This record gives sequence, structure tokens and C-alpha cells, in this order.
Amino acid sequence: MKAAKFDYERAVSLQQIQDALAGEPGGVRLMGGSQSLGPMLNLRLVRPERVLDVSAVPELQQVSTVNAQVRIGAAVTHAQIEDGLHEALRGHMMQKVAGRIAYRGVRNRGTLGGSLAHADPAADWVLTCVALGARVNVRGSGGTRSVPMADFMVAAYTTVLEAGEFIESVDVPAVSATARWGYYKFTRKVGEFADASCACYFDPATRTARVVIGAMDGAPRFLPELAAKVAAHGAAALAGDTIAAALQPILAQRDPAHQELFRTVVERSLQQALGLKG
Amino acid sequence: MAEISIQINGRKQSHQAEARTHLGDFIREKSRLTGTNLSCEHGVCGACTVLVDGRPVRSCITFAGACEGHEVRTVEGYDDDPIMLRLRSAFSEHHALQCGFCTPGMLATSRDIVLRLPEADEARVRIELSGNICRCTGYQGITAAILSVLQALREQPDDQVQALRAAVVQHVQQDWTQGGFVTFEADQEEVSTVESVAADAGSGEKGKGQAIQGGFDAGFPAAQVWAFMTDLPQVAACLPGAVIESQEGASVQGKIAIKFGPMSAAFKGHATLERDEAHRTAVLRGEGVDSLSQSRARGDVQYQVTAQGETGSRVSVELVYALQGPLAQFSRSGLVQDFVRRMIAEFGKNVNLRLEKPLAQGEQPAVAQFNPVRMFFSILWDRFKGFFRRS
Repeated sequence: MKAAKFDYERAVSLQQIQDALAGEPGGVRLMGGSQSLGPMLNLRLVRPERVLDVSAVPELQQVSTVNAQVRIGAAVTHAQIEDGLHEALRGHMMQKVAGRIAYRGVRNRGTLGGSLAHADPAADWVLTCVALGARVNVRGSGGTRSVPMADFMVAAYTTVLEAGEFIESVDVPAVSATARWGYYKFTRKVGEFADASCACYFDPATRTARVVIGAMDGAPRFLPELAAKVAAHGAAALAGDTIAAALQPILAQRDPAHQELFRTVVERSLQQALGLKG
Repeated sequence: MAEISIQINGRKQSHQAEARTHLGDFIREKSRLTGTNLSCEHGVCGACTVLVDGRPVRSCITFAGACEGHEVRTVEGYDDDPIMLRLRSAFSEHHALQCGFCTPGMLATSRDIVLRLPEADEARVRIELSGNICRCTGYQGITAAILSVLQALREQPDDQVQALRAAVVQHVQQDWTQGGFVTFEADQEEVSTVESVAADAGSGEKGKGQAIQGGFDAGFPAAQVWAFMTDLPQVAACLPGAVIESQEGASVQGKIAIKFGPMSAAFKGHATLERDEAHRTAVLRGEGVDSLSQSRARGDVQYQVTAQGETGSRVSVELVYALQGPLAQFSRSGLVQDFVRRMIAEFGKNVNLRLEKPLAQGEQPAVAQFNPVRMFFSILWDRFKGFFRRS
């Protein structure tokens, strides 16, 4: 099907985005690489009056490192991260995750900011950024604010972005020699949305331990006690039914097959971090 | 309409086109380059894949306006490409081309594999090809063709191909298997995620579709709740977004508006109510079509009212539904379950309210105020202020 009629404009500066949103907070929809919005437009599930393409704004394409944090512009594409185009992200957890997002054809256009703003519960970046403890830098008419990724997505397709606000960049921890991480997802076929996914991130240098599951009904969910146990005891923490017990309160209502899928993604993700299995 | 100019196969193509025109339509209908095929038109099948600045891109979910100033290459423009030259004969040798519909997209993706992944093995080739669907299921031949080109280039490197490969900026993550894990005492972070809604619903597959069970308590005697629950206009008035347009006995015509994140749909159709007085069980069977997205929904809502003591009752609800069409693409079961759960909760709240304050004689029930945001995310209400926005 074809998209319903809309007006298209390409932004070339942050100010232009800000002005467009301030002028018509309800009627303008921002578009990054159009890999999520495109299908929705074509299926006529979304019918905006105006689309503002922000993918060419130079400020949104930059990557820089400040105080052990990598600041990634919202319009940086999955493929750029996968290819290690920016030195700061080479060997980073982000690079590994990027290579398995959808398909290369999609990765060539899809953007980090677009994916986070779209807030699909099964999205790779949503989960990865929560596990990394990323912060989302949001710009609006009243200036900028920084939102912890754990608070950014509130439910399926819903974020804390207010009318007039947009994602400018995302801060993730820089590559650390001590950090260990894992990422595992089940998909029906390569590139599809995940049925179950888990990301974990451990760094003794910053005493960080996070285990997060995705592809839920809404935002990713933390397993803080499991994370602390694994940090303290390593592989020994996985003995017995530790993982199943940690998942129990969250997945009690799901059918056994689903519980098993989640138990497995958590186990495999942790095994990667523990260096037991790729 | 506006003038859109794109460099396609080395020639500047300027045409009047609408903003909503995607690159695939621009290529086919404006530039009359019909080698590019369109199939699913929402980025799933990969048939429309073309090269934009040398990289494969799905032309059906890339808008033409977004390609101004970029270089597009289609199947008509590969004549002098050294990789395509090899792929063409390999496709032919390995019977990688059957009906030919997916071939232009397959070639674009294959070229990318040969260019970017000189060492790819069969597993990697298949992973990279997974975004292109072949309805003749010719994957065996396509994979063999790509592998043969890779092999030939490894055995006898080609200067022209080497030059193309050298121009690709790529820092492949060589080995990401990590070193030993050092145990440590983690800082307890304040985990500020949203608590899950008390889940009063389960789900599963059932006969003609997905089944979701739920229910709510009513603070009124079962007989009174049952009487209310079999009055169609009353029931509809408690269902967020529902409007009854006409009623004939146990059959109604009407519509129901739903909103799901950025998506919205209004299903128009009919429903009939079957009642079993003895067991206080009823089934509302309905189906409808959303005229804008052409999505179809069919569902049975079965409910039973059971007494809980003298003054209370329990309404158990089971929804068995099937969705077809565009909306089904975005309705993974977990999400729908969440949606229905809240819908049932809101419905129960309205039923209780209405029972508390029955309509006066002759008064028409009003349409339940549809506030999808409050309904869908009531628990997040105070944290939630903006609406969906993407960048």
C-alpha cells in the first residue's frame, strides 16, 4: 500500500527541527532513516500531515568521546556502528549488536535515535542502551535534558519525549578493558523481531552489573538480584534454577514455552559475558 | 507535487512527484526503470532492494525526497560493474534465477556480500541474504552462486574488485569472545523501571486465533450484573471507543476505535450476542474492517457472571481473536495481551460505575470516553506527558 498524503521537508540544522516542532507540535513527525516509520506510513497505520526528515542534520551524525562516555548522534546509522566507522565504538558492545539488527539493507538507513524514539519493545537498541546504562540527550524548546535510558521508554511505542522534544544524542560508556557483556535474542528468522532477548553488562571498574530482558509487553525489565549474584560469584551463580527463579516474578503469567525461551536467552547472554560461550 | 531530482544509474532524473512517493515508485513510475520490483511495500521481502550510494537499501520504505543528492543504482545500471559481471554468470550457472521477480533485489544484496565480506562462508551468506525473500525458494542456487564468486575471487583476485573493496570503510570486529570474568561486588543501582501491571490475564493459541483470558470483579449481585451484561447498548457504552449504530434483536452494527502507540484504527462491523441464561454465560461474536488500513479483525468475547457471596460477582472474560492485514504486522501477542488486559480493566471499571449510577428512564447511554493513553498506560499516567515521537 502507499502512504497517505503528507508534506515532506528535510532539516539541515537542529534549530530547524526545534522550530518545526515548536510551530506544530502535534502535526509534525520526525523521520530518521524511515525504517520503522516507513512501513507504518505505507500501511497507513500512521498518517501525519508533515514529515521532517532529520537524517541529514550534521550535528546528529557526530560521534565524540567525553569523560569515558561516547556521545552518539541520533542520526548515526546501525551500519555505521556495525562497520566501526567511528573509532570510539570499535570493539564496543554496540558494534556487535548493530551487526544483527534486521538486515543490512535496513541497517544502512535505520538510525539509533529513530529506533529509540520508536520504542518497539523488541528493538535491539532499546535493550542494549538500558543494559549499558545509556543516557538519552533530549532537546526541546526549553533547552536540553538528559534522561537515563531506564526511564526513557515507558511502554510499548511510548517514551518520555514531550511535544516539541526530540533525541539529539545518546551517551554510552566508552570501550572498557574490564567490561564484559552479552547479548542474545531469539527470532523466528534472522532479522525478525525478537521473541525473547537479554542483554547484560558487567564492569568491575565501575562496579556495574546489569541483566536486562527485552521483547516484553513494554519497556525492558531488570533482573538486579541475578546481576549482583553473577557479579559476585561468576559462573557459580548460574547453578541450579537461579535464572528461572529470577524470571519467575516477571514471567509467571506466561506459558512454559515462553518462560523457557527467556530462561535460555538470559543463560546464553550471561555465558557470553562469563566467557563460557560465544 | 514537487520536483524531485535523483541521480539514477549515472543520469539525473527530475520528475514531479508527491512527497509520499517512495524511491521504488519513483524509479519505476517516474523514471520508467521497471527492472526494480515492488512486492510487500513495507520492507519485509527485499524485492525492491537497490543501491543508494553503493549500499543496498529497500526502496519501498525509503522516500524519494530523502534521496535527493544521493546516487541510486538499479538493475539496469550494473553493466560496467565488475562484481555484477561475475554474479550474472554465476546466477545463470547455478540456476539462481527462476521466475526472476526477486532477482534484482537478490543481485543488489549479493553484490554487497561479495564487496563487503570476502571471507564469508555459507552460513554467513545465508544470514546476509535473509532479508530477501524468493518465492520460488531458489536460495540454494543463489547461495551457491555467491559462494562461487567469493571462491573465484579468493583464488584469483581481480584488480577492479579489489579497488572497489578497498574503497569500503570497514573495521570488522575480529574477535569479540572476551577474556576471563573477574568477580566483584556490584553497586546496587536504583532500578527505576516501571512495575508491571498486576496481570489478571493469560494467553494462548486457541482454535481460530489468539486467546486472552481476564476478568473483573463487580460489587453487585450476579443477577443484576448479568442483566446489565446482556443489554448490548449498555455493554457497548462501557467498552472504550465503541459506538453502536443500529440494533436488531441480538445483532448490532457499530464501530470501535482503538489506538495502539502511534497507530490507530477504527473497526466498523457487526456483532451478535448469544446468551445462555442458565449458566449466565454469553458470547459476543463480532467482526469488522478498518477502512483506512484495510485490516480485518474477528473475535469472540465470551463472558460469564458468577456470584461471589450475596452482594458481589465476578465477570470472567475470554477473548479469542484473529487479526488480518496491516495491523496484524504490529500486533505481536504480548503487546495485544497488554492492550486487552487494560481494555478489560477499563471495561470493568465502567460497568461498575454504570451499575452504581443506572441510567434514568429514557436516558441514552453515552459513548465511553475513549482515552487510549489513560487506558493503555494508566499506571504510567503521571510520568507520561508527551505523545509518541520518533526521530
